[in-house]
Amino acid sequence: MGRLVLRRLAATIPVLLLVTAGVFALIHLTPGDPIDAMMAESVDDSVKRELRRDLGLDRPLYLQYATWMGRLLQGDLGRSIRNREPVIENVGRRIRPSLQLAGLAMAISLLVATPIGILSAARRNSTIDRCGTTFALFGICMPNFLIALLLIFVFGVTLRWLPISGYVDPLEEPWAGLRSLTLPAITLGLALAAVITRTLRSSMLEALSEDYIRTARAKGLSDGAVVRRHALKNALIPVVTVLGLQLGTLIGGAVITEYVFALPGVGRLVVDAVFARDYPLVQGVVLLIAVGFILSNLAVDLLYGLIDPRIRHR
Amino acid sequence: MASSTPGSGIAEPAAAPLASPVPARPARARRWRTLRHAAGARLAPFGAAVLVIAGLAALLAPAVAPHDPLKQDLNHALAQPERAHLLGTDNVGRDVLSRVIWGTRVSLVAGLGSVCIAVLAGGLLGLLAGYAGGRVDGLVMRLMDAVLSFPPLVLALALGAVLGAGLTGVVIALGVVYTPTFARLMRGQVLSITAREYVDAARALGVPGWRIAWSHVLPNATAPIVVQASLSVAFAILAEASLSFLGLGVQPPSPSWGSMINAGRGYLQQAPWIVFGPGAALFVTVVGLNFVGDAIRDALDPRLRV
Repeated sequence: MGRLVLRRLAATIPVLLLVTAGVFALIHLTPGDPIDAMMAESVDDSVKRELRRDLGLDRPLYLQYATWMGRLLQGDLGRSIRNREPVIENVGRRIRPSLQLAGLAMAISLLVATPIGILSAARRNSTIDRCGTTFALFGICMPNFLIALLLIFVFGVTLRWLPISGYVDPLEEPWAGLRSLTLPAITLGLALAAVITRTLRSSMLEALSEDYIRTARAKGLSDGAVVRRHALKNALIPVVTVLGLQLGTLIGGAVITEYVFALPGVGRLVVDAVFARDYPLVQGVVLLIAVGFILSNLAVDLLYGLIDPRIRHR
Repeated sequence: MASSTPGSGIAEPAAAPLASPVPARPARARRWRTLRHAAGARLAPFGAAVLVIAGLAALLAPAVAPHDPLKQDLNHALAQPERAHLLGTDNVGRDVLSRVIWGTRVSLVAGLGSVCIAVLAGGLLGLLAGYAGGRVDGLVMRLMDAVLSFPPLVLALALGAVLGAGLTGVVIALGVVYTPTFARLMRGQVLSITAREYVDAARALGVPGWRIAWSHVLPNATAPIVVQASLSVAFAILAEASLSFLGLGVQPPSPSWGSMINAGRGYLQQAPWIVFGPGAALFVTVVGLNFVGDAIRDALDPRLRV
């Protein structure tokens, strides 16, 4: 296991280097002068000149990259142009709502998808199965923002059961906080649930057609025991893979969900930074998100090895 | 179907399967059988009908749209659906149906354009990596890994920010996002095909490398790429709508489904039709594309049927 961790870590280093180069290039890909793009026409030339010097844009490219990397390695991701605060602090303030949203959405998606996926497979071609596969199709074809608006329309505007925007920290006010996160978490969770349902259904179907299932049935085990003890365990591996693959989608979905429900999370921060043309902030946040994404993929990889011994020893 | 992606619409490319070893000839009969098979799938006719309607709407928008999509009429703002305005009017009195019809253009251009870029760029890179091997292979594939290290929507956002808002920026940004999927697919295909005997035979006959790539490897590598491309168009359309919804794609007043939905969300209570018109169009188009994509996949590679 230790060697697997080391090998995976080593493999991410060149990718990380390319990622930093890509993020660094972001500012330089801007057509025209990035400073002109960032600042309004009316801003004084001396301010622009100062900013250009601040960002080192007047020096050769390789030097800029080297300085930027040097600072990066010391944990300095630069400063936002808008509020002049370090990127890290900007992100630090926003990370909590995002993590809470992602956690809740994940929980909801598993709660919804597990029973539907299992029942769909166990009672193939039944009404339950047809409803389940239709649900999965809807979830996959429905963009996040439409789900969000439908939920707002039904539960916020028409029934007035839940707040439709704003954020209360559930760690401080549990009830109000959970209420503020309910609709966003359902929005994000349903899309994920659709994918998990599909995967779980097809991997359950595959597992159920194995010889050991016939054996288990032949020795007189009940249907429930066969499904739970023999099929489900083996069907879970592809689900973990898909969960890993869907992390990126989850992050993207969080961006949209936070935007619709006005949650002060990291996704909202990216959108705001792009709107404000705050390029250093965009650079920093995108880099942090990418690194977080790479590390969570790594974690999923390792988890995979933990679940399935065959992979660990390969 | 592990490559499906919800919500934000940007596909997390799951490694698609390698080509099925379809017998190489006779090509025309095989193609015909494939088409017939695809058309025979249960939901494919519905999907195809949706696509034909969407295509016609996009092509004939000036002729079939009942009103000018940009013409404001403040006297008829937020009008309910009625005979003159089948889907109602929006907050400045523009006809929602006409805007939905014109929006089809944006969606189809974004979906097809970005996937074309991705297929071309990814296909070439994959061909290069698989064919050249060694260091070139390593470099190209690490580059693709780097692109895949960004959550797709975030990458599209960042690229869109740099390229500037507008349809062109969105198409290029999404093209870049989808490129690695096709590069990986193509590389896998090339690796498995170049190990076949007929490639050895061609080599032994002294056929130059580029010609082997063009006339032996490419034609045999297309099946999974076609499948992935047909499903990717759906995701690209969702992604364009998402970006435009965030205000970072196609800019108002140009009619794009995503930006229309965003503009209408403030009027959910008084005029839900502003959101539901383009929302339904988006949903039905994506469902149709998925049906067609699934049918193509089943026809080209029956082993993948879920």
